[in-house]
Amino acid sequence: MNPTATQSQTATSPVEAIQIWLVQQLSEVLSLDPATVDVTQPLTRYGLDSIDAVTLVGDLEDWLDEELPSTLLWDYPTIAKAATYLVEELEVSVDTGN
Amino acid sequence: MNPEYPALSTASLIDLDSPMTSLKQYQLAAALERDLGHPAIADNPLSFQRTAEIDEQETFPEAEVAWLYNWQLQHYYIPTQCGGKFTSFEEFVGFVRVMARRDLNITIAFTTMFWSFLTWMAGTDAQKAKLAQYMQEDHGTMCLAYSERDHGSDLVGGSVVARKVPGGYRLTGEKWPINRATRSGITYVLARTNEEGGNRGLSLFMVDKREINPNEYGNNPKIKTHGIRAADMSGIYFEDCFVPDTMLLGQEGQGLELALKGFQITRALCAAFSQGAADTCLRTTLNFALNRQLYGKTVWDMPHARRTLVNGFLDILTCDCVNLAAARGFHVAPRQFSVWSAVDKYFVPVTLENMQQDISVVLGARFYMRDEHDHGVFQKMLRDSSIISVFDGSSVVNLHALILQRRQLAKTRGRRKPKDIEAINARLKNSFDLNTDLPPFDPTQLELISRGADDVPQGLESALEALEALTPAEVDATVLGCLKQQGQQLLQALDDQDAAIAQSAFEHGHDQSFESFEQAKHYCRIHAATACLHMWLHNRRHLGEFFAQGQWLVLCLDRLLAQWLPTRPAVPETYYATVEAELLSLYKAEQMFSIVPFQLATLPAADPVPPAPAAMAIP
Ligand SMILES: Cc1cc2nc3c(=O)[nH]c(=O)nc-3n(C[C@H](O)[C@H](O)[C@H](O)COP(=O)(O)OP(=O)(O)OC[C@H]3O[C@@H](n4cnc5c(N)ncnc54)[C@H](O)[C@@H]3O)c2cc1C
Repeated sequence: MNPTATQSQTATSPVEAIQIWLVQQLSEVLSLDPATVDVTQPLTRYGLDSIDAVTLVGDLEDWLDEELPSTLLWDYPTIAKAATYLVEELEVSVDTGN
Repeated sequence: MNPEYPALSTASLIDLDSPMTSLKQYQLAAALERDLGHPAIADNPLSFQRTAEIDEQETFPEAEVAWLYNWQLQHYYIPTQCGGKFTSFEEFVGFVRVMARRDLNITIAFTTMFWSFLTWMAGTDAQKAKLAQYMQEDHGTMCLAYSERDHGSDLVGGSVVARKVPGGYRLTGEKWPINRATRSGITYVLARTNEEGGNRGLSLFMVDKREINPNEYGNNPKIKTHGIRAADMSGIYFEDCFVPDTMLLGQEGQGLELALKGFQITRALCAAFSQGAADTCLRTTLNFALNRQLYGKTVWDMPHARRTLVNGFLDILTCDCVNLAAARGFHVAPRQFSVWSAVDKYFVPVTLENMQQDISVVLGARFYMRDEHDHGVFQKMLRDSSIISVFDGSSVVNLHALILQRRQLAKTRGRRKPKDIEAINARLKNSFDLNTDLPPFDPTQLELISRGADDVPQGLESALEALEALTPAEVDATVLGCLKQQGQQLLQALDDQDAAIAQSAFEHGHDQSFESFEQAKHYCRIHAATACLHMWLHNRRHLGEFFAQGQWLVLCLDRLLAQWLPTRPAVPETYYATVEAELLSLYKAEQMFSIVPFQLATLPAADPVPPAPAAMAIP
């Protein structure tokens, strides 16, 4: 994971910060142009398979320094849904730099 | 001295009694052994002659499986909380080895019952009670129907569909090739409950054939196989078959998660099949080597043959350390099993398959014959066991699972704090010290990722500290010197790999390079070597003198290190003689080739094993 990647874009809210981070990760993992990632599309549509999705949660845990359900991205299969769930239901805190 | 290790002030305190006297978890295996009797006696239930006939006829071992049910062995597949007698996977591995050393056709056919852990893990109380009764009283069993003709390892790609209808689902599609698909009452079927598929698009059904319409399903004909030829290898198909809601296991959409967690359990247990097969291959080859005369001496007298067999024995001991720790670890650190069981399922079957090939050189032409020498048991074991590294998650699938977690493992290892190390040490003591009681297995603790935890290698530094604390009064100074040096070499290998992983670009998914698979194998070897070290440190006091001396350990570590350190300091040649003597002594006493060499069935006095020539006397 590369923390500087998120710093280049400014997030205005925790939800957005998580979205930016996930877009960045997904683009790295699947060699995509971040601009082409639509946060409302299912991750599987970009070719992220089941075990990748679980591995990505591991990275997210590292970044957020918090234990998350390993099936998070199975249950909330778009970046938007996952980010909203994390902030609104799990109340994770993210440093948005503000 | 590290308080996690048993204190031992002088060598004379070592308990020289048979390890069996104190380890209650091996009593079941020993009892099953006694009752099955010596496999060389044709009339015994799972004798080599009988099992060879079954294999030749390619007929299902009906009577033999019934014998095991009548012995009530099925109770040991059912946890005590569910009304059975299963208490630990260590005990389980012990009795599976007893069956497997006789015949894998029967063992694998009987042990499809270990799929019941899916129900013990995720079933309702009613589902558990019904299944327990079916196994205990009706002598019923189950099969696992995941694979499809067009979809093997790719579970999410499966095309069997379960369409929701009032009160249940309608199943359509075929599962193939499935062991015991025809001869089982319960079929665990993974099916799509969401047409689009996806990670939450699969559900697991515990289909009870007694309660579905026989016109709506059928079985495919027997598949002819290279090994386990008597197995009921077939398939099952459903044609718009109604299954009630009560047959859904867990929640709708939970199928993939349950399947992956269930594999964590059964993959580690598969290693016990390999261990049983390896014991017989070594035993029958020794039987040949000790008795076959040429050039005026026996085969055993020739250094090449002797060393080959000793190496085979060392491989068995290494796998023992790996698999017994894994079996115990289930109870202690279930959250780590996405890693631990992948290591075990890769390392043990592959190491023992290679070992069988290696020692076949000593058996010579007879390794290829189907009715010579102990009824051709060697070639049969070779054929039968070669599927173990393939089914239930193949070696590549397990290595792949490991690759995906390898970076987290390195990160977590790099971040360990003193309190983490303390917790690792406490868990290691419980996982490795065979004298400690195990907590009950809690399958709800299984996780899809281990979050970077793998106690065995992550406790390596603690093991090295414990070595440093040992004195020559406790352990021979040369042995200790070798172990310390080998320990450092292991640590170096682990540090190097962690550093390499941290620097490399990480690939997700199924685009892993060939090299990353090699790296994962290397990790498994480091894990295995460290497991040997922990096993010795935690059990020096209670597994007898041979175990305590540690010469075997130096040789086991040397065999593993040889795979990445072609030039390394030589180990003392005399250690081989010690291991030779132990091998012969276990062979003569008919005890399991194991770090826990429990008593096997013996021949009646009137019918002794052909005596070993005098030259073979134990030094
Ligand atoms: C005797 C026997 C008993 C069996 N019993 C059962 C049973 O009871 N229930 C059941 O459901 N199935 C059973 N199977 C099926 C078995 O589990 C499958 O063979 C297995 O799932 C692999 O499927 P496949 O051979 O179709 O290979 P595929 O999955 O099609 O894979 C083909 C090849 O691709 C490569 N590959 C696959 N995955 C990866 C990866 N992740 N990384 C890199 N390379 C990869 C490997 O080289 C693999 O051999 C049994 C098979 C046999 C022979």
